[in-house]
Amino acid sequence: MKISTKKRTDVIISEIVLIVVSFIFVLPLILAFTMSLQPPQAVFSFPPKILPVAIHLQNYANAFKTVPFDRLFLNSAIVAIMITLGKLITGTLAGYAFANFNFFGKNFAFSFLFATLFLPAELIMIVPLFALMAKLGWVNTYWALTIPFMASATNTFLLRQHFLMIPKELEDSARIDGAGPMAYFIKILLPLSKSMIGGVSIINFIYAWNFYLWPLIITMEDRMKTVQVGVKMLIDAEGASNWGVIMAGTVAAVIPTLILFFILQPLFVKSLTRSGIKG
Amino acid sequence: MRKWTPYFLLVPTFIIIVLFIYMPAGVSLQTSLYRVLPFGRGMRYIGLQNFLKLFANSDYLYSVRFTILYVATTVGITILSSFLLALLMVKKIPGVRFYRTLIFAPYAISPAIAGALWTFLLNPVVGHVSYFFQTTMGIQVEWLTSKPHAFYAIIFASVWKILPFDMIFYIATIQNVPEEILESATIEGASSMDRTWKIIFPMVSPITFYLVIMNIVSTMFSSFAIIDVMTKGGPGQYTTNMIYRLYLDGFYFQKAGVASAQSVILIAIMIVVTMVYFKVGERYVHYQ
Amino acid sequence: MKKIIFVTLLIVVFSVSSVAMAADKINVQFWHAMGGWRIELLQEMANDFMALNPDINVEVQYTGSYGDTINKLNVAIQSGVAPHVVQGYDIATQMLIDGEVAVPMQDLIDADPTFDIGTFMPQVLNYYRVGGKLYCMPFNSSNAVMFYNKTLFKKAGLDPNKPPKTYEELLDYAEKLTVKDDKGNVVQAGITWNLHCWFFEQFMAKQNAGLVDNNNGRTGRPTKAIFNSEAGLKVFNLWNDLSKEGYMINTKVHDWTGARNLFISQKVAMLITSTSDVALMVKSAKENNFELGSAFMPVPADAESGGVVIGGGSLWMVAGKPEAETKAAWEFVKFMAESAQQIKWHTGTGYFPVRKDAVEDLLAQGYYSESPHNLTTIMQLLLSTQNYNSNGAIIGAFAEVRNIVESNVQKMLNGDLTPEEALATAEKEATTAIRDYEGL
Repeated sequence: MKISTKKRTDVIISEIVLIVVSFIFVLPLILAFTMSLQPPQAVFSFPPKILPVAIHLQNYANAFKTVPFDRLFLNSAIVAIMITLGKLITGTLAGYAFANFNFFGKNFAFSFLFATLFLPAELIMIVPLFALMAKLGWVNTYWALTIPFMASATNTFLLRQHFLMIPKELEDSARIDGAGPMAYFIKILLPLSKSMIGGVSIINFIYAWNFYLWPLIITMEDRMKTVQVGVKMLIDAEGASNWGVIMAGTVAAVIPTLILFFILQPLFVKSLTRSGIKG
Repeated sequence: MRKWTPYFLLVPTFIIIVLFIYMPAGVSLQTSLYRVLPFGRGMRYIGLQNFLKLFANSDYLYSVRFTILYVATTVGITILSSFLLALLMVKKIPGVRFYRTLIFAPYAISPAIAGALWTFLLNPVVGHVSYFFQTTMGIQVEWLTSKPHAFYAIIFASVWKILPFDMIFYIATIQNVPEEILESATIEGASSMDRTWKIIFPMVSPITFYLVIMNIVSTMFSSFAIIDVMTKGGPGQYTTNMIYRLYLDGFYFQKAGVASAQSVILIAIMIVVTMVYFKVGERYVHYQ
Repeated sequence: MKKIIFVTLLIVVFSVSSVAMAADKINVQFWHAMGGWRIELLQEMANDFMALNPDINVEVQYTGSYGDTINKLNVAIQSGVAPHVVQGYDIATQMLIDGEVAVPMQDLIDADPTFDIGTFMPQVLNYYRVGGKLYCMPFNSSNAVMFYNKTLFKKAGLDPNKPPKTYEELLDYAEKLTVKDDKGNVVQAGITWNLHCWFFEQFMAKQNAGLVDNNNGRTGRPTKAIFNSEAGLKVFNLWNDLSKEGYMINTKVHDWTGARNLFISQKVAMLITSTSDVALMVKSAKENNFELGSAFMPVPADAESGGVVIGGGSLWMVAGKPEAETKAAWEFVKFMAESAQQIKWHTGTGYFPVRKDAVEDLLAQGYYSESPHNLTTIMQLLLSTQNYNSNGAIIGAFAEVRNIVESNVQKMLNGDLTPEEALATAEKEATTAIRDYEGL
């Protein structure tokens, strides 16, 4: 009897903590959502509203009218998917190299790649990167939005960890069967890494989806811009803005990432279980 | 043929990082030796003067100190709380899947939008959080404009943003700890605290090792958006860290040479920190 | 026979190529920082222009906030892909001039007899004239103005038709309008304005006090900051006194929205904000059931007479483009500066019409009798004494100077520095920044 009461209190306390923590974590999103539904006069009022006074869907209509969101969603999707694919390709190939091979210069190569974590493009090198894009004729193209970001130290590192967990025997037996390293890679290693690839894809997609500064600078037409720039378009430089509409745009911009996470979530958690990331 | 395979495998990655990261970075970092006026005019070679001026600037030195404090606090709190939350999340409690999705929400929002939303919530009089504090505890706090509350607000927003990412990794690895070890420990009289800190935590130390360095890099390089939207580095430069200073000098004051010098210093510090971290950290990581 | 064929061919080729040439439009790129519904308005105006000028194609592009736009311009110019017309904000004026980015508007005006610069309001022109030359075309100009809640005034026993005019009155009114609960928390405050150096600049200009030497940077390049003056101290003391006692709520830096929020939800009774907020305030007052009042910015009782400073943005034409494109861009800029467009822009946003004839037309249409608050804002501008101080400061390092002032104000409000110390430190740091920029 004693044990089950203790267990029950344990569960109740855990539930309470989880509810409180989840609420705090999702609070800003709740706010964004309710503000997006507020009619203009209720957006700024006291006491502050946590629930919408009325369902004012006009905000969403206005947001989509002011900014060509349909086109921007398409752009963001293309860019995010291309970057994700690019990072996966370079990441799996590089991760494979670091995990399954020993070669001269391996440590140097790894450090060289790792150091790119300290060189964020948007902060440190916008001017020369833009100049390079201009020289290549890539200004205002999808190429400029995607190719410079298709390599990733994080991806390589994560995939390397995962590949290290695959038993060497598989590789040996594949070699005995006459399969070359690329055949092993494609036919055996990758299929075994499906969940890790799924997990890494979410990270890549979200990262690319949230780009603001580079797309703003490199695009030269409103119809090439991405979703985050679109949300900014709803905010005026100094004048008063309609926050209900801005929040409608914000919510619309966030929903795809949340949906993606929701769909891929079980895959993601399971993937880390497989790789263990034990080092 | 096999001897050359790894090099071929690395070609795509290396082409991209050399062309699009190292080369532009090289050009940029060179600017640290010059004095540059807005729009690239009047580039004049001045050697190390940018660096010397920075080291003599008390505001810059403050930002360095603040950065250390900010990063250490954020990463410490994030690692600790994500670990503890993960422990809760692996229990068989109804609705766990649901909570996981909610708690992941901050990661999906861009830092600029997140900062803007927190600014609304923390408006000293009409913000929801302030209203809550006022009606329940009768206190009125100027969250974003007074010391030390601005610091807490920034730390909170930063932790809030990164924690979900850490937590997911912890959930997975905690689930990997073999049940038998925990069971035998309980049988031998180990308390729940013992089990947590003497068994589970050491066993997930490899992932902790990875998360700490990832969090350090993350707080270093993406904090400027949160700081810009929530406090603009204030009040009175109180919450200005090295990244925000760099952002101000480079993007707002258009002082390209100075900003570039700050980048060089920042990168140098990160390299040193990482090297030390890898040497020292390895000792504390417990491998199977 | 051959000759006929040859001539026919020539004619055909000639007509085809001239058709092709006629169909070849000149492209003009226009970058702006106006978001929200203003994007549509600007596109409409561009469409109107293109209807009148079928050989010119204007590409309108939103390029982020004012700061983002300058950054994008910076990057683009250094890579040779700059636009033709770009909207720059007030404090970037000297930076843009020093960057040798633009074709000075003055040159184009002098060469074009159809353009009469005399119709423009001197208050606006004086801001953008540096060294006697007009570098850019005024477009969206604004000032600071004080809104107040007449309903709350009445509740506090104050005459709703007598807004405070002096600092002394302002303090007095703010005190009477502040309501605290029994725990000492402020339930309603007297006044707010968002923490922005712009308001300091306006307060100074209204007292005819300058920010930097060489006549506010207008008769020569500035070498030092001079705002640690009696006038400056009066502003800092006002700010400090209001905040210390809780009569003023201070927002975070540049939080225009937070300040508006406080006024609209009636948590403060007075708001100093941009004149471009008139439409929003009129609408919000109606929706939230309070009576709106507007007034000039207050001044100390014994102040010299000064004026308000122009804020907002203007249109710059980028240099280095082929002559045909520059001419086309000039036509576009002229169009946007026409009275009809200025009226359209003004009524659609809240920025001033920058021309005298536009104001005259609006007056004739009865516009100002229907919008008393727009009348307040235009009157404050027109009644401003014109001198170097109300013309605004020209400082290359303006962005940094603003940041320094704001930083020190925050330190003062947090009690780290006294108003005297804050002002002195700000002036010293600003001088350092100026000297650094000027290469002294």
